[in-house]
Amino acid sequence: MRLFVALANTLRLYLTCIRNTLEAAMCLQFNLRVCLLYLQNFPCQEVERHNKPEVELKTSPELLLNPVLICRNEAEKCLIETSINSIRISMKVKQADELENILAKKFLRFLSMRAEAFQVLRRKPVQGYDISFLITNYHCEDMHKHKLIDFIVQFMEDIDKEISELKLSVNTRGRLVATEFLKQFI
Amino acid sequence: MILLQSPSRFLLQILQDRVLSGDKGVDIDCHTVEFDDVRYHIQFSMRNPKVMVLSVALPLPPPEAMLYDGLPLGAIEAIKAAYGPVVQILDPPKDGFDLTMKINLTKLPPDEEQRNAVLTQIASVREVVLGAPLKLLLKHLASKTVAPNVDKLVALVHRPNESFFVAPQADKVTVVYPMRFQDSIDIVLATSFLQEFVEARRTSALNNAPSCLWSPVPPLELKGVPSDALNANAGFVTFVVFPRHVEGKKLDKTVWSLLTFHAYVSYHVKCSEGFMHTRMRRRVETLIQALDRAKSDAEKLKKLVNGGSFKRLSLKNDGN
Repeated sequence: MRLFVALANTLRLYLTCIRNTLEAAMCLQFNLRVCLLYLQNFPCQEVERHNKPEVELKTSPELLLNPVLICRNEAEKCLIETSINSIRISMKVKQADELENILAKKFLRFLSMRAEAFQVLRRKPVQGYDISFLITNYHCEDMHKHKLIDFIVQFMEDIDKEISELKLSVNTRGRLVATEFLKQFI
Repeated sequence: MILLQSPSRFLLQILQDRVLSGDKGVDIDCHTVEFDDVRYHIQFSMRNPKVMVLSVALPLPPPEAMLYDGLPLGAIEAIKAAYGPVVQILDPPKDGFDLTMKINLTKLPPDEEQRNAVLTQIASVREVVLGAPLKLLLKHLASKTVAPNVDKLVALVHRPNESFFVAPQADKVTVVYPMRFQDSIDIVLATSFLQEFVEARRTSALNNAPSCLWSPVPPLELKGVPSDALNANAGFVTFVVFPRHVEGKKLDKTVWSLLTFHAYVSYHVKCSEGFMHTRMRRRVETLIQALDRAKSDAEKLKKLVNGGSFKRLSLKNDGN
């Protein structure tokens, strides 16, 4: 029980840390947008009439900020990369054993396939991570920033919760199935 | 439905309809497939509306499983014992099938209850045919003897190109299943299910159930079996069946459960995958709702009134 509480606490700390960093990153972005007129909508410097998230293209180092990496442990980490007009958040979800690995893969793939519905979700995760978000200046204009941060944090909490619940349900089902089968012989 | 039922629903329905429909007959010629690649071909002709020709194709046997004229050991005797005068076996069977039977519905018992029992028995033809050798071995276990002319280790077909192994002894019969699954997700789920079997057996309520073991490598009983038959990707399950598990009426149930063990596990693996999908869909819905809350009301309103997006507006300003 104590172990469980401790784990829950670490999770909370980790999530709070991400929330703070996200606020900082978005705040940074907000400041930049206020300071420089073009930042609100930053067209590509090289190609005429192109307007792409700089964090993806990385056309010029001066448009990028230092990435922030938050680690809970080796297996669970979150990378936040910020640029002049976009921010990319990538996550690695804990996978303690093979079953969790399969469940996480299945669930995250399920989510990525529905990226269209989520708008801020990237279709493919950044290499080395399980799932990525891409938030551009347009998303920031359309949505409340603090609620967007709430969403990201809830998303991470939900993934964690969902995977452990799925694992539990697989085990419960397995036990039930086994008991019913063996009962026939008695 | 947690446990698999042995009568084929489809077959039973056709038989019951035909018995109840009286004399008017229509031509029926249909095929159906059941789990583990058991195929049925059902024929009724206009001329003989009360005679059904039923052909059954069994799963393709692997090289190590022994068959007699394409049928498992003791299948013909089992059919004769189970159905009596109602069924007549046609030799040779139809092309592409392993067994063809002529079922004369006029010879059914007149009493409704008895008749239904026979019809159900006919619909469970796969249990009778595929389960015949296992039943033979377990019958001898009930009388605590070993069946004569039987090897130390018998391979019985239960899925296309796959068999399970039975080691009969006077006081116990050991049944070993090499578990194979195609999908990587299936393998992981099945492995965790199989470990639950071992765990569940340890609880006090199931103390009298057959002891159950799971191991990733072939158990000692399978010594000398060709390695082709031992490439299981989800480990090996061993059940040890004692005489008390095959007493009297329990025999049929035990035969059926052991015969369909793989199908049973695989069915529940698929079920739990389906359940997972329902769950994930629900989770996606709640997450999308959370994202919708983030959209500002002003933005929603603007879209409704103008129909234009902020993006286009800002582009126009740039142009000026």
